[in-house]
Amino acid sequence: MEAESEFKEYYAKNMRGISGWFKARAYTIERWLYAAHRITGILIVLFVLAHFYSTGWHPGLWWDALLGIIVTFHTANGIRLILAELGFAVGKPLLVKKPSQRPVSIEGVQRYLVVFALVLFFVLAAIWAYYALVVQPMMG
Amino acid sequence: MSSEEAKEYALPPEVLEETIRASEELWKPVRKIKFRIYKYNPRKDYAPHWEEHELEVSRGMTVLDALLVIKGEMDHSLGVRYSCRMGLCGSCAMMINGKQMLACQTRVLEAAGDGDVVELRPLDNFPVERDLAADFTSFFEKHKAVKPWIIRNDEVELNNPTGPYKQTVDEYARYYQFTDCIKCGACLSACPTAATDYEYLGPQALAQAYRYMVDTRDDGLDVRIPIVDSEHGCWRCHFAASCSDVCPRGVDPAQGIQLLKKLLIKRKFGFKPHKPAEALPAKVKAERKE
Amino acid sequence: MRESTVMFLHYITAILIAITGLIHLLANNDPGIGAVIKANSALYFGNMAIFLAALLYHAFNGVRVILIEMVPDKCWTKWISWAVLIVGIVTYAVGLQVLMVALGFA
Ligand code: SF4
Ligand code: SF4
Ligand code: FES
Repeated sequence: MEAESEFKEYYAKNMRGISGWFKARAYTIERWLYAAHRITGILIVLFVLAHFYSTGWHPGLWWDALLGIIVTFHTANGIRLILAELGFAVGKPLLVKKPSQRPVSIEGVQRYLVVFALVLFFVLAAIWAYYALVVQPMMG
Repeated sequence: MSSEEAKEYALPPEVLEETIRASEELWKPVRKIKFRIYKYNPRKDYAPHWEEHELEVSRGMTVLDALLVIKGEMDHSLGVRYSCRMGLCGSCAMMINGKQMLACQTRVLEAAGDGDVVELRPLDNFPVERDLAADFTSFFEKHKAVKPWIIRNDEVELNNPTGPYKQTVDEYARYYQFTDCIKCGACLSACPTAATDYEYLGPQALAQAYRYMVDTRDDGLDVRIPIVDSEHGCWRCHFAASCSDVCPRGVDPAQGIQLLKKLLIKRKFGFKPHKPAEALPAKVKAERKE
Repeated sequence: MRESTVMFLHYITAILIAITGLIHLLANNDPGIGAVIKANSALYFGNMAIFLAALLYHAFNGVRVILIEMVPDKCWTKWISWAVLIVGIVTYAVGLQVLMVALGFA
């Protein structure tokens, strides 16, 4: 009986639950970035805890490069988020709208910010990978 | 109008013919589309099920038109909510092929794209009322929670108005965009935060809070701050921007929320966006005195 | 604390992490720049203390945000905030000691 009412409640509430955070298909790229930001954030916390627990631990070589991708993505996208969330790159409210107006906060200056964040991500990840794969093995 | 003039204004016969042909074309059935419709009555059914109907659709047919045909001819028990059929009332938002859209503003062929299936579900993250209709009670409560009305402290003026409140076009432009909201619920449904956080005020309510907070006639900034600046208020927005993406009215709630955050931070450092506007001395009053 | 204060600090610490974290990375990975940075161990310790504080604040506040979105219940929200705060402070205390040992201050 208990199980049955819970089952019913699940459908009556129709909440997507945690999978809803990652339902990015059909929406704009910001939604992918949001999902990736959250996943990389959680992964970084896990890494940091391990890094503390046995001080200075890091996974080594190729895994270090992967860690670099995670960290640099969170950094580059974080810069974009700070600018957007504090209201600096989302444009101004409109006084005149076109018949099917696309939102300014997505397709205005913020579009360039997305591109900037992605480029920054690639550059930083490449530098990190260079250090992880070339410089670190040399240092021994 | 004389018949001479009427002739002048009438469309040339070939243009008239073309117009009639085009409008006939618009309503001529062109393709068979399969509709997968979510059927569920939480008061009766144990679990939802899907029903499929096939329909010849024309180029001009909207999803709502198709639903009405299905309701009239195939399945009379279908639950669907609508009233204006022209994107003004906000009753008919639903998941059309996995995205929140107004049924009355989406043409079937546009939704189907290259495929020939249109899948219809009630709005995500809203309780189901029946079939395609969602329960908006909590949504409207959230809207009410941010006090979406002008708050003023000048009781004398309110009880005995001497004239309209002063507002320039620039001041009007600060909030006009957000007044277009029709409370269709698409934005809250699309928001990833709302997928788990049922307490989250949601893009619609937060955008409306911003709309009133920057209205120069309003004096309720500090009254609304504790409401929007709470644990389930505007800081649970992480700028996934899906709300703006799905909004059928170009309200751009994501922009409103980010500007609201900016306003809250500025308020922290002692900034207030405006003094509440004063009443203009009305001409009516001046005339009455004479 | 108001939620806006918490989240404003979240952004401030993000910027701090980017700067101090870069110094930490260079110190440990680039032989040339690393030697220069580590030459002044008191300054480097200060850098690491700030880095640790900012990182813990940012990480644990991030965890709190995710948790209260997952469990939006009013009562749980309060307990989550307190639990995260206490765990964060304890981790910082332990972390500082580890740092002092590692950099030769104790
Ligand atoms: S903001 Fe847009 S999507 Fe949200 S309720 Fe208003 S009209 Fe609908
Ligand atoms: S911008 Fe904010 S409110 Fe809008 S969908 Fe994204 S998280 Fe939700
Ligand atoms: S029926 Fe009114 S908005 Fe669709």
